[in-house]
Amino acid sequence: MSGYELLARDLAACGRDGFTGEVRVSGSPGGTVHLRGGLVVAVESPGAPGPEALLLRSGRIGGEEWAGLVRESGGARWPAAGLITHGYTGAAQLRVVCAMALQDAAFAVVAGSVDGCERGPAAESPPAAVAVGEPPTRLLQDAARKLNALLALPYPVRPERERPAPAPLSHAADRLTALRRELIGHADGRRTARDLAFLTGRGVYTVTVEVARMLGEGLLECPEAPAPIPVRLPPDGAGVRPREPAPLPPPPVAPPPEPVALPRRRPGASGITEAIGGERNGTSWKEFFRLRNPTGK
Amino acid sequence: MDHQALAREMRGLREQVTGITDTAVAAADGLLIAADTADSIDPEGLAALAAAGLGLARRTAEATARGALHRTVTYGSHGCAAFYAVGDTALMVVLGDEGMDVDRLHTATQPALRRIDLILTEKTEKTERSERSESSEKFETNVNSAKAVEGV
Repeated sequence: MSGYELLARDLAACGRDGFTGEVRVSGSPGGTVHLRGGLVVAVESPGAPGPEALLLRSGRIGGEEWAGLVRESGGARWPAAGLITHGYTGAAQLRVVCAMALQDAAFAVVAGSVDGCERGPAAESPPAAVAVGEPPTRLLQDAARKLNALLALPYPVRPERERPAPAPLSHAADRLTALRRELIGHADGRRTARDLAFLTGRGVYTVTVEVARMLGEGLLECPEAPAPIPVRLPPDGAGVRPREPAPLPPPPVAPPPEPVALPRRRPGASGITEAIGGERNGTSWKEFFRLRNPTGK
Repeated sequence: MDHQALAREMRGLREQVTGITDTAVAAADGLLIAADTADSIDPEGLAALAAAGLGLARRTAEATARGALHRTVTYGSHGCAAFYAVGDTALMVVLGDEGMDVDRLHTATQPALRRIDLILTEKTEKTERSERSESSEKFETNVNSAKAVEGV
């Protein structure tokens, strides 16, 4: 049984049982399907940008403003009411964003590999849930139909497989759509269609289809081999060594004592006495004064 | 050190965990060893920031009696930056977008960190071994020459 068949079987069973809770799909990228009464109300997957990423990355709301709304709503992951009351988006538009993100995440799960499914209890409230859920079978069929359409293109692309780079033809191309310009600007031979979707704040299906078309038209190309990762060792050439503790700070140098008075001359400091050799012959200036003043010491 | 093996580990991690956008490995003092990063990121600066960040986190863990440091993760509205210590010789930086499952990242990095530590310390151990053997050879040579002088 393929991963898709496993997922389809388990989700269909959830629909029949009227299951309320979440189904964790392991695999790559995998994800979590939130159900209420057997209907899918939200899907989260690392393979597709959620409503929050779509709003933030598209520049509809800034990161600081988002954090403010989350604080205002008491820490909710999805501050829907705040988004509407502050005028960042309309209620209908928000519903569309949530529904699109749900379908896009389902597509990402189906387009990847599915290893297994596991039912779990319901999270307190699934983030960005749609008001009216989708029947799981219809949701999966829709996702599978999109994947088949993608793979039928002249240059089939998987969201997490190809890592395209701009082709020489892209520099000469004019009259590109905004999406194509963005994709050419961000494609660097390292990013997949999924990475480009997150970066541009658009659905992963939309971006993957566009990447496939651009590869087919020669605007993008997939490099033969990934760019090598340069590796260099620290300059001493001895490999890496354990971190050495920081050297002890040098002991504080005592400041030179402040002079309190003018320096006093010490007798003999100049060395003149030795220089004129007064002591050598036994007589000195002291002797001369003593002779002149015999009472003095 | 096996450069190819290190590059394979870094690229393998990015392919294994959905949402990883960039990885870098640096020595514990913040000197960059290898970077698989986008052009918009300065890998040298990132390595220095990671060394400083891990150092600060380690001291915070010590000062607050939180035990051994596991990792530091910086969360932003466009993703997160995780810093891991690689043994006591190096560190690894993993950047991910907002889709990355951070728990899955932590699970996937543990075996990778151990392998990267082995790759990085291989050269050091070899060098130390060769240095040790060279010094013992020198000692033996000196002993032999001394014996020759003494005519033993």
